[in-house]
Amino acid sequence: MAASLRHSTLFTTVCRQLNSTLWLNVGGRSIHSSAVCCKNRAARIRVGKGDRPVTYEQALHPHQIAHRKGWLSQHTSNLQGEDGAADRTVEDLFIRRLIYGTFHGCLADELVIKRRGNLLVICALMLQKLPPHKYYFLVGYTEELLSHFYKCPVKMEIQMLEEKSVYKYL
Amino acid sequence: MASSYTHVGRQIHRATKLVRRDVKDALQRRYFGLGSATFQQPAATVSGSAEEIVIPRKKTWNKEAVLQALASTVNRDPTASHYVFQDDSYLTPRTSAEFKLYSLAQESGRTAAKYFINTYPKYFQKDFANPHIPCLMPETLELQVNEVSEAALIERIQLRKVKAAVDMYDQLLQAGTPVSLDLTNDLLDLISLYGDCDPARGDAPEQRTEEMGEEQEDVKRRKGMPQKASDFLRLVWRENNNAERIFNMMPERNRRSYGALIRGMVKHGAYSKAFNTYTDLLNNRLTGDVHIFNALISAAPEVREKYVEKWDLIVDLLKQMAEQKVKPTLLTFNAVLKALRRCGSLGRTQAFPVINEMKALGIAPSLATYDHVLGIFYKAATSAQGHTEILQDVLSEISGKSFTAQDPDDVEFFKDAMRICLATKDIEQAYRVHSLLGVGENWKLLGDSYYQSIYYGRFFNLLCMMEHIDVVLKWYKELIPSLYYPNSQGMRDLLQALDTDNRLDLIPQIWKDIKRMGHDNKTELVEEMLSLMARENQIPEVQQSFADCALDVKALYTQTDRRVPLSWSAGSLSSITSILLAAERTQQAWEMLKLFKLANRVPSESLMNQFLESVKASNNAQQAVELVQISASFCLSITPNLMERVQQEFDLTEEQRNTLSDLESSTAMSD
Repeated sequence: MAASLRHSTLFTTVCRQLNSTLWLNVGGRSIHSSAVCCKNRAARIRVGKGDRPVTYEQALHPHQIAHRKGWLSQHTSNLQGEDGAADRTVEDLFIRRLIYGTFHGCLADELVIKRRGNLLVICALMLQKLPPHKYYFLVGYTEELLSHFYKCPVKMEIQMLEEKSVYKYL
Repeated sequence: MASSYTHVGRQIHRATKLVRRDVKDALQRRYFGLGSATFQQPAATVSGSAEEIVIPRKKTWNKEAVLQALASTVNRDPTASHYVFQDDSYLTPRTSAEFKLYSLAQESGRTAAKYFINTYPKYFQKDFANPHIPCLMPETLELQVNEVSEAALIERIQLRKVKAAVDMYDQLLQAGTPVSLDLTNDLLDLISLYGDCDPARGDAPEQRTEEMGEEQEDVKRRKGMPQKASDFLRLVWRENNNAERIFNMMPERNRRSYGALIRGMVKHGAYSKAFNTYTDLLNNRLTGDVHIFNALISAAPEVREKYVEKWDLIVDLLKQMAEQKVKPTLLTFNAVLKALRRCGSLGRTQAFPVINEMKALGIAPSLATYDHVLGIFYKAATSAQGHTEILQDVLSEISGKSFTAQDPDDVEFFKDAMRICLATKDIEQAYRVHSLLGVGENWKLLGDSYYQSIYYGRFFNLLCMMEHIDVVLKWYKELIPSLYYPNSQGMRDLLQALDTDNRLDLIPQIWKDIKRMGHDNKTELVEEMLSLMARENQIPEVQQSFADCALDVKALYTQTDRRVPLSWSAGSLSSITSILLAAERTQQAWEMLKLFKLANRVPSESLMNQFLESVKASNNAQQAVELVQISASFCLSITPNLMERVQQEFDLTEEQRNTLSDLESSTAMSD
């Protein structure tokens, strides 16, 4: 027991020393890491009991893109010699979150974002949850807000569904 | 080998020469739009020599040439809804009320977004756009400059804050700083334009000032508000308001100051004051300008009573204009013609001299000019009395021309022209007016959605009256519902047209459209449709479709969910019953008879006879006796007749005979 006590005091002194050195290095840079999502788990819904309805988009895994799936975000910055891919990705993420919140509970599937020249087209599949004039209000609001935010014309094209289209149950 | 090369070379050379000649011919033949291509230098004519190389003329296209070419291949799609709406069946408006609601909802969403953008501008400052797009930056609507200075006054004038500007001006005068004449004139213009109140802000959510209703002007409003609120709450030029006060305080005034005051007075209804101010202007040895004279001419009919006096005043003003060497413009002549509309018969004699004067000065007339001419010659009360040539002449003159908006009254032309065509029942001129809409930019002068609905309503009315049903239906598909949502009167006109040309078999389809447009709660329309269907017997398929339609209508009367159902009338009940009988749906027809009792309506005698015929066809004696009982319960005068016929034509059992004889005695006693 004495030996373990000595070990513990040694341990605490080492920690305190480490702490002090860290405290002295507070102006420096260190690596920030977020939670890891391995590529063999991203965007894949695993097979479960069979009671979870899943759309076509969700059911097909990312390796099926260009085989059985299309792209959700269409722009030319990934072509040879074009730049701005990172900016487009960040914009897309922002737009997806904005619309998910603005049309809360009404989206039936993921958004498809297309860029044609200067124009940003947001194609959405929505459920018939709200009366149509409320949809028009939200569409006008989103278009205006995003146009002013990104300094380019933004158009939304909506299609309505009665309910989410289920591809299979996983 | 070398020879083969030269041979090949010559072949290629000849081929390219041919290609070049073809291309040149093709270029000469193609012609997209107006001025979309320019040729740089004229080419020399090609002679027949074999070795000459002809370089085709270089064409330069303007930026929109491709778009214009593509647009010329596409016509309007009559099955699509208005372009501002989403292309989805749930989100497409089906009635004019929905049209207005959805377009206003979208606009209010935009206004809400603009409110956020202008209230929190720091999030929207980052400028990605190259070149810079100024309309996508947040606007500063709040006042920045707050100290008492001329810059503050300029800012308030630019932001159209009338009261704040007047306060700032007063503060400047009290502080002793002289305000320049131009700035004071700007301030006077601002006050006169807005009539001394602040215009309502477009994006402020709850600011409904009691004075003006703001024009949330969007082209998408259809048959909604009949008048804008500003027409009801017309601003009046108050006595000794800020404009006059500032005007009187000014140390020196020039023509612009007087002009601001006069134009403000005319705009807000103080006509005689405007003339007094003009006299002041002349007394101060200043001359008027064209805007002052335009305002005074438009005010002239208000300050004189008799036609001759009005005209004399206008002529006097025009003479003064000539003396003061002020050149008249299009607006001057339009103001003269508009005043002539209120001069009765004098207008007719003076209209053409005015127009000749206009042409002599080389001023091209706008649509407002023609509108005033038509207004002078076609008064609302009198029908056409030998003046039909005027409309034709006007249309001949303007056919094929494209007009731009130069006068606020330009938008009245189309609906007034269509009104005249409707009054004179002239379908040819109506077609010419409508084709004028397709020329160039004239569609922009059709006005807002309310004016459009008036125009198309009159056009459709005229078509239903004058044209054969096939033409009417063609126009129906073309106009409705993409351009125009007819009201119930329009649908009744269509039913009349169907009746006239004996195409009553189309009624079930029209009924579907009526339901979709939300007119199925209009009792007159529904009853008229039912009576048209019930009037005569049709071929069996048509009769069956009529019966289905009648049952659909019946459901409307009896449903209680969410809407006030229509109330039965004798006419509608009888019509539905006779349609059902004619289609041999006797069971449902019998149910209808019971409905008569419930709704307290009396069936007609012809209906009873029709029932008897159908019962005879099915040879059901029990039903015949029931029929007589029902007829007796309604105390119809036809009951004895029915009873006789039943007794003779049916073989009745003992019980039935007893019932009948009881009835006979009871009716005999009650007589």
